[in-house]
Amino acid sequence: MIHFKNVSKFYPPDIIGLDAVNLRVEPGEFISIVGQSGTGKSTLAKLLFAEERPSKGIIEIGGWDITKINASDVPLLRRQIGVVFQDFKLLPKKTVYENIAFALQVAGIPSLRVREVVPRVLSIVGLDDKAHRFPQQLSGGEQQRVAIGRALVHQPKILVADEPTGNLDTLNSRDILELLKKINEFGTTVVLVTHDREIVNRLKRRVITLEGGKIVSDVEEGRYKL
Amino acid sequence: MLTSTYRIIKFAFQNFWRNIWLSVITVSMLVLTLLTVNILLVLNRVTDQAISFVENRIEVSVYFNENAPQVKVNDALTHLRSLPEVKDVQEIPADEALAAFKTRHASDPAILSSLDELGKNPFGPTLIIKAHSAKDFDAIIAALDNPRFRDAIRQKDFSDYQSIVSKIRQTTDEIRMGGIILSGIFFLIALLIIFNTVRVAIFIHREEIGIMRLVGASSSFIRMPFLVETIILSVLSILIVVAIVYPTLAFIEPKFNQYFGSNTTGLVSYFEQNGLLIFGSQFLALLVVTMGSTALAMRKHLKV
Repeated sequence: MIHFKNVSKFYPPDIIGLDAVNLRVEPGEFISIVGQSGTGKSTLAKLLFAEERPSKGIIEIGGWDITKINASDVPLLRRQIGVVFQDFKLLPKKTVYENIAFALQVAGIPSLRVREVVPRVLSIVGLDDKAHRFPQQLSGGEQQRVAIGRALVHQPKILVADEPTGNLDTLNSRDILELLKKINEFGTTVVLVTHDREIVNRLKRRVITLEGGKIVSDVEEGRYKL
Repeated sequence: MLTSTYRIIKFAFQNFWRNIWLSVITVSMLVLTLLTVNILLVLNRVTDQAISFVENRIEVSVYFNENAPQVKVNDALTHLRSLPEVKDVQEIPADEALAAFKTRHASDPAILSSLDELGKNPFGPTLIIKAHSAKDFDAIIAALDNPRFRDAIRQKDFSDYQSIVSKIRQTTDEIRMGGIILSGIFFLIALLIIFNTVRVAIFIHREEIGIMRLVGASSSFIRMPFLVETIILSVLSILIVVAIVYPTLAFIEPKFNQYFGSNTTGLVSYFEQNGLLIFGSQFLALLVVTMGSTALAMRKHLKV
């Protein structure tokens, strides 16, 4: 469960990222965070995986207060939260397989386990046949699938997708959306940060709308209203 | 743990190979620095040998008057032998001095006939004094000024060995100082290069580092490859230095020995016997300094 208690984030000199946000996300939920640029969507996502620390308030994930998380505990948190970005963040000199395996290798997972997990993840994201291709040999949608695969290797309880379809055409965006839904069906909580109207409307899941760093609407089976 | 260690070492070697020219430059600077330190060591050894070579040949000859009483000569001899600065005193009686003189000038009838004309032995007893070191001669010459036998002494003959030794010392001290300054400069450059190597490596790998952080790599896992790379650079540097120093010493030692005669410099055997200590301490010092520089570069440029 994700719990934001009166969370604010300020940037110097006087920029408000988030303003007294209260939010509860139950395990297994699929929520979309929407809003225009600069409304605090990405700030909220960054607070979730401790890339940023809140200026005020408390953030709890699965009962774990990560508000003032120690630097040494951040890696443990990030192994429980998969993150996907608009620009994929893949290593261009590594193959699809190596990009996914990389996330396990740097966490000290034994090679035998890596060889077990990676093919399974490749199968989930539908890239079994492209394991030995390099990112530049893949379409945007496929690259995002690799990024999602990499985010899944630690079997995270939460998947944060920050504008995952921002660089993709409609068809690829729909594919990615289907993949996220499939991951959600496996029990993973999905937090989708987007301003893609079509995606949000297709989902028919909970939609949280941010404006000026505040939550202005929180609707079950919502639509993109802005 | 073992898996992580293996991967850290693997990443460190990858860093090394991917920036091979940077690695070559860094290793070259470290090698230059270490070579300068070793040249200083060799210089020290050779200087000591040169000084002992000169000092072994230093002696003062004290010529007594021809009519000097033997009791005064004996008094001087006993007094000199009691001095801690004196290594050895040898007495040459007047007869022996005359015989030696005649032998030396056997081929010069003019000198021999002049001696005959004198009709008596013009030589007095002589004392040959050897000191422990050149700087002891001042004390010995002062001791010869003792009023108990000062008047019986005709002449004190000593070459200015002290100035020779101090000239050797002065020259080698200057070279040594130059070497220390040079190795200091090389060391500083090496440190800056190490700092830059790590900075560049961090810059090159910034994408990879970002992803590592994102997927939950620990801070130590991200940092360790840079430190291990520094160890690789240091090990490589010391191995190259060892590979250069021994053959070079084997090559130059006979030339030094030729100059010093029987007084061998023993450079190769010195480095063989103390190699572990010499290169081990150099490696440790190098490691401490280069890792310090790496840590500084990471602190400044690697935010994890």
